[in-house]
This record gives sequence, structure tokens and C-alpha cells, in this order.
Amino acid sequence: MIDERMEEQASLYVLGALTPGEQQAFEATLSQSAELQQLVSALRVTRDALAGNLPEVEPPFALKQRILAQISPAPQLAAKPTPKSPFSFLNLWLPWALAVGLAVVCGILWSNQFKLEKQLSQQATRLQAMNQMADDLRSTTNNLHQLVVSLRETNQLVNLRIAMLSSLLADAPKAIAVSLWDNEQQKGVFVVQNLKPLPTDKDYQLWVLDPKYPTPVSAGVFQVDEQGNVRIQFKADKRVGSADKFAVTMEPKGGLPTPTMKDLVLIGS
Amino acid sequence: MTINCAYNQNPLTPWRFYVPVCQLTFFGVNEPVLDNDVELLRATGAGDRMAFAAFYDKYSKLLFSIAFRILNDAKEAEDVLQEVFLQVWDKAGSYDARLGKPVSWVVTLTRNKAIDHIRSSQRRSKLVEQAATEIAVRTDATGAANESTRGKESANLISSAVAELPADQRQAIEMAFFSGLTQNEISETLKEPLGTIKARIRRGMLKLRDRLEGFV
Repeated sequence: MIDERMEEQASLYVLGALTPGEQQAFEATLSQSAELQQLVSALRVTRDALAGNLPEVEPPFALKQRILAQISPAPQLAAKPTPKSPFSFLNLWLPWALAVGLAVVCGILWSNQFKLEKQLSQQATRLQAMNQMADDLRSTTNNLHQLVVSLRETNQLVNLRIAMLSSLLADAPKAIAVSLWDNEQQKGVFVVQNLKPLPTDKDYQLWVLDPKYPTPVSAGVFQVDEQGNVRIQFKADKRVGSADKFAVTMEPKGGLPTPTMKDLVLIGS
Repeated sequence: MTINCAYNQNPLTPWRFYVPVCQLTFFGVNEPVLDNDVELLRATGAGDRMAFAAFYDKYSKLLFSIAFRILNDAKEAEDVLQEVFLQVWDKAGSYDARLGKPVSWVVTLTRNKAIDHIRSSQRRSKLVEQAATEIAVRTDATGAANESTRGKESANLISSAVAELPADQRQAIEMAFFSGLTQNEISETLKEPLGTIKARIRRGMLKLRDRLEGFV
């Protein structure tokens, strides 16, 4: 039996006029009374009819589309079997066609990569050889510099004219030489490294360039060993006043009175 | 394509009012007919957008009218309606028919969200002050229920039932439901004892129920 107090609570409940605490207490009672549930159900219908008695106001037409656009896609729609379409064969073969196309592209890319790797390997080999050559040159230069330094440290070399000659040959870039000239005694020592050996009908010829003479003064001919090295003592054909420069040319066997400038091999001061 | 139509009772109204529900035959494929609110909600809960759209078509006017009545602002009423239907989409799967009819559920949702909007916009105190006079002014308007959705006879029936209520009972009921006032706030606003307010609401609601009982 529902008393008046419960009827009040039920009426207030369906109208939303209970406080949260009152509502909670009422719902606890409601859950245990089928008769009360029946009353609440009837009062809800009454309330809905009251709400339905309002003057009708039409919602904007676009609102429905806006709401439909916001809801997530229907999950069961994806599960529905899709009807066959004229494009079904395309759906079947398209993935295979894409796979074949991808394989061809991969093959082309692999081929290009192989070529590039080969070129890269060749360049790396050349670079390694050039680095080795540079190291050798540095080593040779350092050795000669050490020689020069050690000689300069010697009192005997106080009056010596020391010159370093560099290669002018494209095919013997590592060739290098040092000339030590004692002007007082009019003699010197000439050390050569990495100069290529000559055929038997040719000689290297050493020249001293003195400003008081219009042409270089010959200082003799020489050959190098198989490694391109030689150490000689030399004298000039004429008395040298000032040995400004030294040069080496490649001449016919026995040498010439004047140098063949087109065959200039080494020069330095 | 063919369209087959049948008539089903509108669960909103306790009187005999029928709305057409149509079955579409599209390229020979029969789409299921969802002819009542519980089925519509069940299908909506399973992700059926067509069922959701049908539920919207069925109740959007009613719910928009309620929101507009409470908020007196079309833009805010739109926001409320949007929130309500998005919640319907999200929660339809968990709807329990034993707790009430779908229409009661969405009416409660709409009313509560509209009241929340009032509270969040801090218009509540102003509305409380105006509630009494506003509702009194609206007394005549409540009889002008829209006739397009439920027919002239039905509209007249519910309008007359509301009109037959004593003014103080109708006022208390409408202040509770449409203004979102608690029983204590109604008591303070009308400067009447709380017991009096409770009694007015109880008597008014039971009277309306009895008046409409034959149509439930």
C-alpha cells in the first residue's frame, strides 16, 4: 500500500524536484516495491504527456545532419556481406597488380643500388691509393727535411747552399732532390729519390743557375738506380759566383752544353 | 523500389494516435521494420544509423520543444538536443526497458540537460525569480499544444486536462519540471510551506494521471 508521502515522493521524483540525496533514498525504496514502480511508471507517462502538450517548436533541419555526422559508423554495417559489384574483379586483381608493380620497382631500385655500390667501391679504392701516395710523399719530404736539418746543424754546412728540387713530371710526381753546394770549394752533393730510371741512351743532367751567366752551368750527368735513387758529388763546368737555383734535365747520353728546357725534370732553389 | 506502410501506436501519447511506419523494398532486399521505440533503441545500440535516424525523427520535435520551453533560447535548445541524441547513440545499447519507456528516458535526459545548461550559465537565480509570474502568463499557452503530431482531439484532451488543474497545482508542477526547481526552492519562491508544495504537486500529478488513465 502506497501512502500519501510515497505518492508525493514519486511525483517529485518524476518531475526531477528531489535533491540528489532524496532521489537516492527514493530510488532505494523504489527498487524494492513493484507497486511503487508501477506508480512511477504511470506518473512518468503523465509527465511525458504534460511535456507533449507544449507548443511544438521545430528543430533546425541541419541539426539532424550535424548529429548524424558526429556519430561513429555503424559497427554491424561492416559485417554485412557486400553485394557483388561490377568492380569485384578489380578488387580481386588490384592487390596482385600492385604487388607486381612493387616488385618491379624494387628490382629497379636494387639494380641501381648495386651499380652505385660498385662505383662507390671503385672511388674508395682510388681514394685509398691517393692517400697512400700522399703518405709516401709526406714521408719522403719529412726524411729530406730531417736530412737538411741535421746538415744545417753541422758546422761544416755553415757555408753550404742548400736547395730542394721538386718534380715537374706528371708521371713521377714523387721525385724529389736536395742539392748541397759549397761555393768556397766549388763542389756539392746531390741526393735524388723516386726519379724514374732512364733508357741507356739518355742521362739526367744537373744544372746550376748563376745570374752572372746567360745560360745554366752544367754540373754533370747521372743515372738513378732501380728505385730511382742516387747520391752524387758534383762540380760545375764554370766557376759559380752565386748558385741561385738548381735544375735537372733529361738529355742524350753524355749531356749537352745547354739544357733542353722541354725536358726539365726537377727544379728548386 | 517499393514502399509498404503500416500504422503503429505512438508510445508518447496515451490516447489512440497512430503514426505510419514504412517498409522499404530496395532492389529486392527487405530492410527490417523497426516499429517500436524499444526495437529502435536496440538497433541503435547495435550501431544501426537508420534506426537512430528514425528515433530522431520521432522525438526531435518533442524534445526540442521541451528544451526550448526550459531555456527559451533556440541555440541553447539545439545544443541540448544534440547532446541528448549523441547520448542516445552512445547509451542506447545499455538502455533497460524495465526502468521505463524510451520516451520517458529521453524526456528526462532532455529536461535534465536543459536544466544543467541553465545552471551552468548562471541564469538559474534569475529564472527562479521570474518563474512564478512566467508560468502564470503561460497558463493560456499550455492549451495550444501542437496538433500536427497528435491530432486535434488528442491535443484538446490533454490541454483540457491541464486546464482543469487548479492554477496553484499546475504552477508547482511546471516550476518543478520546466524550471528545474527543487521542492524547497519552489517553496521559497512561492513563499509557501514545503508541505503545501508537496501536496499540490502530488494532487496535480495524480489528477492528471487519473484524467488520462483511460488512454495509457
